[in-house]
Amino acid sequence: MTAVIDQPIVRTEARSRAHEILRIVRLHCVNPSVFFGIPWIILGGAWAVMMIVGLIITAANGPTEEMAEGMRYSWAVLSPQWYLVVVGVQAIGLTFSFALGFGTTRRDFWLGTSIMFVIVSFLNGVAIATLVQIEKATDGWGIGIAMFDSLWYGQQGWLTDFYSTLALQLLVLFIGASVTTVYLRWRMRGTMTVLFSAVALLLAFIAIATFSGSWPALFEWFGSIGVIGAFTIVLVFAAVCAVGGYLVIRRATPR
Amino acid sequence: MTGTVVRASGLTKRYGSFTAVDGVDFALEENRIYGLLGRNGAGKTTIMQLLTGQLFAEAGELEVFGREPAEHADVLRRMCFIAESQRYPESFKASHVFKAAPWFFEHWDAAFAEQLIADFRLPLNRYIKKLSRGQLSAVGVIVGLASRAPLTFFDEPYLGLDAVARHIFYDRLLEDYAEHPRTIVLSTHLIDEVANLLEHVILIDQGRILFDRDADELRGSAMTVAGPRVAVESFVADRPVIGREGLGGLASATIDGRLDQGDRLRAAELGLELAPVSLQQLIIHLTGTDLRADSTEGEVAA
Repeated sequence: MTAVIDQPIVRTEARSRAHEILRIVRLHCVNPSVFFGIPWIILGGAWAVMMIVGLIITAANGPTEEMAEGMRYSWAVLSPQWYLVVVGVQAIGLTFSFALGFGTTRRDFWLGTSIMFVIVSFLNGVAIATLVQIEKATDGWGIGIAMFDSLWYGQQGWLTDFYSTLALQLLVLFIGASVTTVYLRWRMRGTMTVLFSAVALLLAFIAIATFSGSWPALFEWFGSIGVIGAFTIVLVFAAVCAVGGYLVIRRATPR
Repeated sequence: MTGTVVRASGLTKRYGSFTAVDGVDFALEENRIYGLLGRNGAGKTTIMQLLTGQLFAEAGELEVFGREPAEHADVLRRMCFIAESQRYPESFKASHVFKAAPWFFEHWDAAFAEQLIADFRLPLNRYIKKLSRGQLSAVGVIVGLASRAPLTFFDEPYLGLDAVARHIFYDRLLEDYAEHPRTIVLSTHLIDEVANLLEHVILIDQGRILFDRDADELRGSAMTVAGPRVAVESFVADRPVIGREGLGGLASATIDGRLDQGDRLRAAELGLELAPVSLQQLIIHLTGTDLRADSTEGEVAA
């Protein structure tokens, strides 16, 4: 029995690291409806509702100018995001357990999942930014509605719309995923600690800003950094979640 | 030549104040079929999760294929462990599991998997969460068999399987094992069902190993002696008794240990009947609550 210790490990390195990480991307895509199908069905549904509302208003000879202005404040363009937080949670909560059973390392799982998130965010960024342009070019899909050309979208060109969608999408996915890694590692107690700490930090920030009377300055600064600056902050938060999730998942255990 | 695949010493896993695995020492040799037996909650699944790097031990040393398993891709890729309570992605159908499996198991045999799917009549197009308990067990069994992983774990493979399916598993495992030898660890509390498959038995109870013995050695290692109470008592007086039953003036006692020719003659003279003990009966005697003190004696004697 002791003789084995001297036995060199036969390493079967035929499968590369890239393969081990990319197979996680494939695993997330085995059922493409999760990351691609359902979010676009939600968005498509929201678009259909907006179209019908637009048709009703136009048919009733409503004020089209004011309709487009009002629709700018609808959050329809962001409708799939709530679902995508859940996708981020489940990517870790369920797929992680499964991947461990199939012999993946936690490191490769997180890297593969991160690549998946980047791919999804990139594609959604391209799609949304392009739809904004189409909507503007077709004058609101022919009936003057504003679904994609809303909120901050459609004001500073394709690249800004792409960048902001990319950043927001990454944050949404990584927040769900990284909070779930905390749950897997420290269970409910850890998750609650993180959530309460986040709320406490936010309250402390509000208190400091209020007592020092720096809200106007803060708003001014926020206005000065513009859409690009604001979404760069979003992107930094996403990166913090991505790095934090990596550190936490390395010792996480499946349920 | 056979090598040691797993070597554990003092392996301990605690959940708060509960010790699930309590300082166990054991080794698994290459190309053998092991039974990891014990009652519900004995620590079987925890041991397998430790071996596959899913859990981290609090104490002790563990080597799988020569190194710590957790986070070592070259170790993990040689193992397959579908837990009895395995979680699957929400959107998974049975077909998705088999589609993904070849990316993870380099020895995956797709034709074999297809044959097994037909044998078990597994509905591929059904969502995993809609599968019955037996069908869920079948998914784990098919992945375990078709993966041909050098170290394959089957966690309660019989759970919910009907008699035909249990028989299929038994047959396919033996056939495939003969052609593609590998190390197999079967955890189960349905002991008689697998008794004949096993080459080596590790019995655990409350996180400790009660015994770790060759299955051949184990078969017939215990005997039940039955007859008049007085005769039984005198016969078993200086032997390790692991179980006792009595009815009026009759009694039977199960002793842990082999009987030689002289013992058998003496038993015959006393008018005692001797009967071999099945693996399941032996384990009930060793892990049952009725004779706890005796069972630890039995362990010492072993």
